[in-house]
Amino acid sequence: MGCSSSLPDRSTGRLGGLNNSESGGVADAKNLRVKLVLLGDSGVGKSCIVLRFVRGQFDPTSKVTIGASFLSQTIALQDSTTVKFEIWDTAGQERYAALAPLYYRGAAVAVIVYDITSPETFNKAQYWVKELQKHGSPDIVMALVGNKADLQEKREVPTQDGIDYAEKNGMFFMETSAKTADNINQLFEEIAKRLPRPSST
Amino acid sequence: MSSSDSSSSYAGDPGPIPFDNQFKSLKLEQGSDSTIIQKDDAIAQEEGEHESLSENSNNHQETSHVQDDRIDGGDVTSVAWRRTSSEVEVDGPSSPSSSGYAGERGSSGASDDDEIHEVANDGGIDGVFDSQAAWLPGKRHVNEDDASISWRKRKKHFFMLSHSGKPIYSRYGDEHKLAGFSATLQAIISFLENGGDRIKLVRAGKHQVVFLVKGPIYLVCISCTEEPYESLKGQLELIYGQMILILTKSVNRCFEKNPKFDMTPLLGGTDVVFSSLIHSLSWNPATFLHAYTCLPLAHATRQAAGAVLQDVADSGVLFAVLMCKHKFEIPLDATAVYDLGLNFRLTSESFSPICLPRYNPMAFLYAYVHYLEVDTYLMLLTTSSGAFYHLKDCRIRIEMVLLKSNVLSEVQRSMLDGGIHVEDLPGDPFPRSGSVSPCLGQHQQPTDSPGRFREPSVGIGGPAGLWHFIYRSIYLDQYISSEFSAPINSPGQQKRLNRAYQKLYASMHNNGNEPHKTQFRRDENYVLLCWVTPDFELYAAFDPLADKGLAIKTCNRVCQWVKDVENEVFLLGASPFSW
Repeated sequence: MGCSSSLPDRSTGRLGGLNNSESGGVADAKNLRVKLVLLGDSGVGKSCIVLRFVRGQFDPTSKVTIGASFLSQTIALQDSTTVKFEIWDTAGQERYAALAPLYYRGAAVAVIVYDITSPETFNKAQYWVKELQKHGSPDIVMALVGNKADLQEKREVPTQDGIDYAEKNGMFFMETSAKTADNINQLFEEIAKRLPRPSST
Repeated sequence: MSSSDSSSSYAGDPGPIPFDNQFKSLKLEQGSDSTIIQKDDAIAQEEGEHESLSENSNNHQETSHVQDDRIDGGDVTSVAWRRTSSEVEVDGPSSPSSSGYAGERGSSGASDDDEIHEVANDGGIDGVFDSQAAWLPGKRHVNEDDASISWRKRKKHFFMLSHSGKPIYSRYGDEHKLAGFSATLQAIISFLENGGDRIKLVRAGKHQVVFLVKGPIYLVCISCTEEPYESLKGQLELIYGQMILILTKSVNRCFEKNPKFDMTPLLGGTDVVFSSLIHSLSWNPATFLHAYTCLPLAHATRQAAGAVLQDVADSGVLFAVLMCKHKFEIPLDATAVYDLGLNFRLTSESFSPICLPRYNPMAFLYAYVHYLEVDTYLMLLTTSSGAFYHLKDCRIRIEMVLLKSNVLSEVQRSMLDGGIHVEDLPGDPFPRSGSVSPCLGQHQQPTDSPGRFREPSVGIGGPAGLWHFIYRSIYLDQYISSEFSAPINSPGQQKRLNRAYQKLYASMHNNGNEPHKTQFRRDENYVLLCWVTPDFELYAAFDPLADKGLAIKTCNRVCQWVKDVENEVFLLGASPFSW
């Protein structure tokens, strides 16, 4: 499993590319270590995305996340850098909302997930974006992800809405399906490319 | 209060409740002879003959043990609490004095919105459903409500509601659809409370309706399982404890601010936890014994495990416990830490706030949970929300030591061997002197090969028709129960036996006067024998045709046996759970 590095190289539109020595932790220019947090309403598939990315599995009956769970996965990019993602998969329930800062504080990357079949989860995603703009680290890389893209016939959030919102807020956007693995590895590769690199090279 | 989360709205706010409907909806089947039993009318049931065990010369009666809420859960392998003397340094903010529902986030980052607000997200129930053969946690029958015949026929309902009548949790059916029913329950409770009284129990035909009031939270059980009132009340206490474990008692403040507060969104996704707790109420003796059980381990192995856990406990971890699934219990004061543990994901490390009311009912502790093996997990508790990486390091250290010292493989083996078997009861009742004590780990040593384990169904019962026993050490707050053997094979039989023990327990403990010391009861299913002393309690089930004299002798042998192996079946020298 893991990610191949065979993606066509796209422009690395860098967001506020300050050095991130403090946020997310780094090793060196060739071996990055980043803290990534997943946020979003409960049931949108955050844990499934992580499980697909880290273990290549999909479990439709997976349990509700309690608190948050921690996993890590390293990917190699084409330019022979490696990126180790330390992933905080947070629980989407309301009672944990107050704990979210615990997990997103110091994160270099935030992946905000909604379910394309549920407009409420899209609203909730926008809430998280605002929250991070207010309280997250200023150079955080944010991705907006519409998950469950395999459920086209049940879609209620048009792709364009996601694109528009992401663009307005300087995020990048992707629709994924943890079930079919569609765009999952691409998502993390795309994130890796957008990470601010430590100076030099 | 700055946080913002106002984009969402209540999904299921039931709104005003049609009051005239309320009493209609409380139709209890066979509601002929309803009696309200007021405070302190204990229902003592006394059947069966009583007879002293021959040796029992001990006349101590005051078994005034506190019935605090305990949990039910997995086998505790080893446990270490951090010493209280050094607790002080751990943390400032999450001390008992801190306040606000989510204000107790341990350390750091106190500034911004700390409160969990009354903001609902979609309120959807995202519990997992599964209708496979094995029991799986998760809410069933969500489509039912109080109008459904199937719902009315369920044997045992549990409800949690707020003092304003808003539903919080229901074992069956959709909470929001049960708004009218909840309001009825609330009306009954507050009607009596307004009269300065308190409702405890309503009997209606074969149904019992048990009430428990915990501040702004009301709990109700409606059951036709014929379990004693005290048992059902104890179960409500456990469910309340489970809720506190998830939310802390500071949830009460939400009700002070807004009496109509809707708690269901805060409990979103916890159906699984409640349903597995309720499930274990029928299966797990820990839930009525108020004790926990340990995985049998050789004394040296347990000591090794204890030592390494104690080691990290000295490094700022409040509590470390190694737990094994599939038996019983851990005992923290709340409730189902164990159940909680089982609901964590196997594949990753988890970090979650939990509240242990006897430590601090208003604040969260943080639990780090990691599965070392499929059924074995390590839980570390800390007061500091920022300690994840420290706990992770501790876990890595512990795991290494446990692996190196073979503790983990011993644990696995013990789980496969499955504890204590009535068939192995040593045959020789008296010669204590000089004889080698039977050892749990040894009884099948010769044939032991790694993959081998005992089929639970091969048992043929012990001597004198002994089918099963539970031995509870009062001083240790621990119990050991034998593995089920023939003919107690099917889940149904095991459940029935568990209920019979539960009844026995209640009849021994809840009769207002003096606690009984012994009880011998014969019915068409079993001979049940119970012996309560200041040190231990023994509950044993025999073949219904068993000879009384022999049964008593056998019980004495069981007690001797357990004493001989207590090093292995109990966690000694620690009273880890008394704060």
